[in-house]
Amino acid sequence: MLIPFSMKNCFQLLYNRQVPAASFKKTVKNGLIIHSISNDVYQNLAAEDWIHDHMNLEDKPILFFWRNSPSVVIGRHQNPWQECNLNLMREEGIKLARRRSGGGTVYHDMGNINLTFFTTKKKYDRMENLKLIVRALNAVQPQLDVQATKRFDLLLDGQFKISGTASKIGRTTAYHHCTLLCSTDGTFLSSLLKSPYQGIRSNATASIPSLVKNLLEKDPTLTCEVLMNAVATEYAAYHQTDNHIHLINPTDETLFPGINSKAKELQTWEWIYGKTPKFSINTSFNVLYEQSHLNIKVFIDIKNGRIEICNIEAPDHWLPLEILDKLNSSLVGSKFCPTETTMLTNILLRTCPQDHKLHSKWNILCEKIKGIM
Amino acid sequence: MAIMRAVLCSLCAVPAPAAPCLLRAWQLGAGVIRTLCTGLALLSVCKFIEKHEWITTENGIGTVGISNFAQEALGDVVYCSLLEVGTKLNKQDEFGALESVKAASELYSPLSGEVPEINEALAENPGLVNKFYYEDGCGSCL
Repeated sequence: MLIPFSMKNCFQLLYNRQVPAASFKKTVKNGLIIHSISNDVYQNLAAEDWIHDHMNLEDKPILFFWRNSPSVVIGRHQNPWQECNLNLMREEGIKLARRRSGGGTVYHDMGNINLTFFTTKKKYDRMENLKLIVRALNAVQPQLDVQATKRFDLLLDGQFKISGTASKIGRTTAYHHCTLLCSTDGTFLSSLLKSPYQGIRSNATASIPSLVKNLLEKDPTLTCEVLMNAVATEYAAYHQTDNHIHLINPTDETLFPGINSKAKELQTWEWIYGKTPKFSINTSFNVLYEQSHLNIKVFIDIKNGRIEICNIEAPDHWLPLEILDKLNSSLVGSKFCPTETTMLTNILLRTCPQDHKLHSKWNILCEKIKGIM
Repeated sequence: MAIMRAVLCSLCAVPAPAAPCLLRAWQLGAGVIRTLCTGLALLSVCKFIEKHEWITTENGIGTVGISNFAQEALGDVVYCSLLEVGTKLNKQDEFGALESVKAASELYSPLSGEVPEINEALAENPGLVNKFYYEDGCGSCL
């Protein structure tokens, strides 16, 4: 559904088709710049989806600024187990989101600016957008050496990535979004985006790791605010429009009817994990038993985030075969998720003989298995 | 590929059926998804939709693919996913997703139907989408 928009109460009027033509008088000349007041990654991604789905961008492109509290965002067709340290994220309370655009995995915090360029499908041009950002940066700091690459990255001093790009093309509209590293926690970024999971075989699109740097490290005057204003000014000049940045609340249902259910969907397990392309794990781990190490082999196939095939192999002198069989068959169909596995294995344990040694081995095994989730 | 082209050329000589065929599945590119036609179509029809997709039906089997124009516009396809066999689709429903070096995009069904077969090879080797397509010459079949 495409809706034309006006500058005055811009989004409020958008969805109401009963509004007479007179209210659309003060139409945006050639573009609109907006900034989300939310730092919630799901709400901001939902705002992107909403604009992409509902707005007619013919001659009226939009630039959207948004920042998120610490989150890891994976591309539409990526595998989070392959891309990031999920265990660390759970410990640190870092959100995981899957966006609808393609591309690779990124870490967001308040030191990173996200920019989304909304256009019609015809006007979709990533390089044009990146050149605009480069002009903006050079307007603030003429000495800055920033270049766009063929992969649509922005490199500082020819080697440090300060921006990565992803995009989505719909039936009539498209968006190109990119990050801009201003003052992000680089150490944390590196540890979060390093996957500890071994033995994954998958068709998912893989990220290309890069050396990154913050613009603030290069030049302390380049704060997030300075950068956003610079890009807004350049965008306004380019599109010959007002460079006023309009604040929007992406939870406001009167402005964006249906947006909260979009945000909800983005938070579901089915979307975040369930949309992972099918993959398999072929790995092993050791357990200590009577002063020697026993090797436990694991073969798991996962489809739609759920275990399709489960073969955990352990020597039967350590754990009886029928108990292992029970474990394997009960995991089939369950989510590849430590919480669900804990629940299942606890239930199973109650059906096992009341043997302290057995229980202890079981717990060791289950902890190891959850460790690969 | 050569066989497909030959088939397509012969389709051009055949008049379209009076009623549109209800395709029950469809193929994409190198072999998307076979559809079984539940309508009248014993006649073969070739139709291009907005330069991006083509459909052919022949003896109750319909096939949908993307055109050369579309695969060039996409750039190298790096990921392709299609619906499960057995899924029932309405026209305009999403039947799959593609990611190319250009962007991520959804694939929308031009027809209603059921999916009896999908091309598994595309998931393993998404680059195939770029390799197989109908020649532009058959646009006149419309």
